[in-house]
Amino acid sequence: MNSDPHLWLKDHGDYLYRYALSRLHNEDLASDMLQETLLAGWRGFENFAGQSSIRTWLVGILKHKIIDHIRLDIRNRKLAESVENDPTSAYFNENGSWSEAPSAWQDNPEELCQSEQFHAVLESCIGKLPEKQQIVFRMRDITGDDSDTICKSCDMTSTHLHVLLHRARLALRMCLQWNWFGEGSRS
Amino acid sequence: MKHACKEISRLASDSLDRKLGLWEKLKFRMHLFICVNCRNCDNNLKLIRNALDLIEKTKYGQARLSDVQRDQLHQTLKKNTGC
Repeated sequence: MNSDPHLWLKDHGDYLYRYALSRLHNEDLASDMLQETLLAGWRGFENFAGQSSIRTWLVGILKHKIIDHIRLDIRNRKLAESVENDPTSAYFNENGSWSEAPSAWQDNPEELCQSEQFHAVLESCIGKLPEKQQIVFRMRDITGDDSDTICKSCDMTSTHLHVLLHRARLALRMCLQWNWFGEGSRS
Repeated sequence: MKHACKEISRLASDSLDRKLGLWEKLKFRMHLFICVNCRNCDNNLKLIRNALDLIEKTKYGQARLSDVQRDQLHQTLKKNTGC
């Protein structure tokens, strides 16, 4: 097995960079994380058991670095959201039925994802979510991280995570209903 | 047994993240069968998930390190590892 980090960069650099970029949405930060990963891999090469491929091993290091980064970021910005004060109550009557009936959306995902306008509306709707909801929603539905990874990154229980995702999705659904699907959609 | 739409919307969201329990699944399916609003909501949430998935693939699927980034990384590696 080769322990030359320059070779790792050549063979796996783009792959690792994409992995980091899709989770951090920032090119400089993604490149920094890649750098730290390659250096950590070089320093800790004797720990590489050779049971997995070098790429899998490096991804594992990178994944932990990203989790640490997000965790620290959340702590530093003191992002908190109480579980009480349920904002989804606004969408329902007292008996728990919908106050405004969700309509059937006619578009299909293939067409939608080709529309620049839809991207813009979607991004602006996601941008309106409270920050902590945004972070977990992006990790889960955009990056596709598993619940376990997100709970670790954000220091939260899986129940708390599911509460936040529920809030984020209903708010996003409402925002898209108003700003995109409202007109011409069948109720 | 009628379950409040609010509770069902939570199950619709949860079903995107975890496997629902047997009782939850039954409750969920039965409610969707009789409630067009929750059926719409469930489909809306799935559509958002699928659209985001497709958008994400096109957005980052082709991303590569730039030549500048790559050079900088090689230099930093050289400085820190001596090789």
